[in-house]
Amino acid sequence: MLKKLIVLLIVSFTSCGVFAQAVRVAVAANAQFVVKKLALEFKKKTGIAVEVISGSSGKLAAQIQNGAPYAIFLSADMAFAETVFKAGYGLALPKVYAVGSLIVCSSTGADVKSWKSLISNQEPGKIAIANPKLAPYGKAAEQALKKLKLYENAQTRLVFGESISQVNTYVLKGAANIGFTTESLVYELPPGASFKWQRVESALYAPIKQGAVLLKYAKSKNYTNNKRFFDYLFSAEAKAIFKQYGYNTT
Amino acid sequence: MEWTPIWLSLKLAAITTLILLAIGIPIAYWLSRKSSLFKIIAEAILTMPLVLPPSVLGFYLLLSFSPNSPVGRWLLEYFNLSLVFSFEGLVVASVIYSLPFMISPVKSALAHLPPSLAEASYTMGKSRLTTFYRVLLPNIKSSLWTATVLTFAHTLGEFGVVLMIGGKLEGITKVASIAIYDAVDNNQYNEANQYSLVLFAITFVIVILVFIFNRNASRGPLE
Repeated sequence: MLKKLIVLLIVSFTSCGVFAQAVRVAVAANAQFVVKKLALEFKKKTGIAVEVISGSSGKLAAQIQNGAPYAIFLSADMAFAETVFKAGYGLALPKVYAVGSLIVCSSTGADVKSWKSLISNQEPGKIAIANPKLAPYGKAAEQALKKLKLYENAQTRLVFGESISQVNTYVLKGAANIGFTTESLVYELPPGASFKWQRVESALYAPIKQGAVLLKYAKSKNYTNNKRFFDYLFSAEAKAIFKQYGYNTT
Repeated sequence: MEWTPIWLSLKLAAITTLILLAIGIPIAYWLSRKSSLFKIIAEAILTMPLVLPPSVLGFYLLLSFSPNSPVGRWLLEYFNLSLVFSFEGLVVASVIYSLPFMISPVKSALAHLPPSLAEASYTMGKSRLTTFYRVLLPNIKSSLWTATVLTFAHTLGEFGVVLMIGGKLEGITKVASIAIYDAVDNNQYNEANQYSLVLFAITFVIVILVFIFNRNASRGPLE
């Protein structure tokens, strides 16, 4: 019986499918929704498939420096994009593809319009931000809280998401009372979410300039396709889509 | 819901189980015979993956397989093989990760066999290899099944290691457990739910199988 099982297993795994390689884009979690939309439009136009891999910028940068086979890196800031370039993994200097907007939001019915007093009054409930070391939106949230001298107040109630995606989950599932995340979440809410949000004044944090790098790996396979998608990110059409998702473009 | 991640998980688990059957059984046999200090240390090392956090294993595998490390560079230069962000890498990692699940049940079953069984066979002039395949292994059939099925199931449930060295590549390293995590990250709670249900069903059937194989034995299924 064991022999039969082994034969069955051998047959089953030798008959696996082979995948045609798409343009592989490593995207900071905040931009995954907009980049998926861009990928869809790009595919409609050119027939070229784009595979989106999302994570925190810091984690993706670490993966790239350990040889991850990604063609393009879309960071949530310039720093990680520059790190990757300086380590010798980029083909050209990073370019700003979007400027992000930080929001404060809640799905537990918290009054986010007066989020500052929510925090200073020590209202119960957790406050979710992304890990400031790995995720630029987390860093921006930290800057804003510190600038308003609310950080001390918030500290005991802060929970840190591994990336902005985890913050979104904490907020959408009500595990955290309020959370700081990307405005693009607002345009990609799951059905049935009761959701309130408010922009954080841009003066409270350093502009979230998001850098794109065409990576060395892009040269190893289908360079023209990879380059085409990279250029598409800076086209007028792409800029319009970025705007729809709450980003500014330069 | 796409079936690719589920299929990929099953494929990874199947290959890992096959490799472990091939290398785990001889190791278990070696460990089950006279013990020495060296063997105790070897067994402890082989059992470590059971208790180590997967992140520790993943971290060290990432460091050693990375093209920046001597081992990773050597593999890449001489075999054109990259063990980070590749399916082959997941196989190597899973073999290490699931090693104790194959070895422990087989070892313990072999150690519990009465020595007279093998001795009788030797007396009749059978070689050690023949005795092992024709006498010892058939006598521990239910433990072999348990080990096989548990190894398979444990590999299906692998997450931390794959997350560290996989890189979530579609059809290559994005196995079912990662697809669930990714779906939650993408606010696709329905999809996460579907993947989870499928995995739940598969593992439930597997565990049921283990209990069926052991229904006649008085031992617990993890022995």
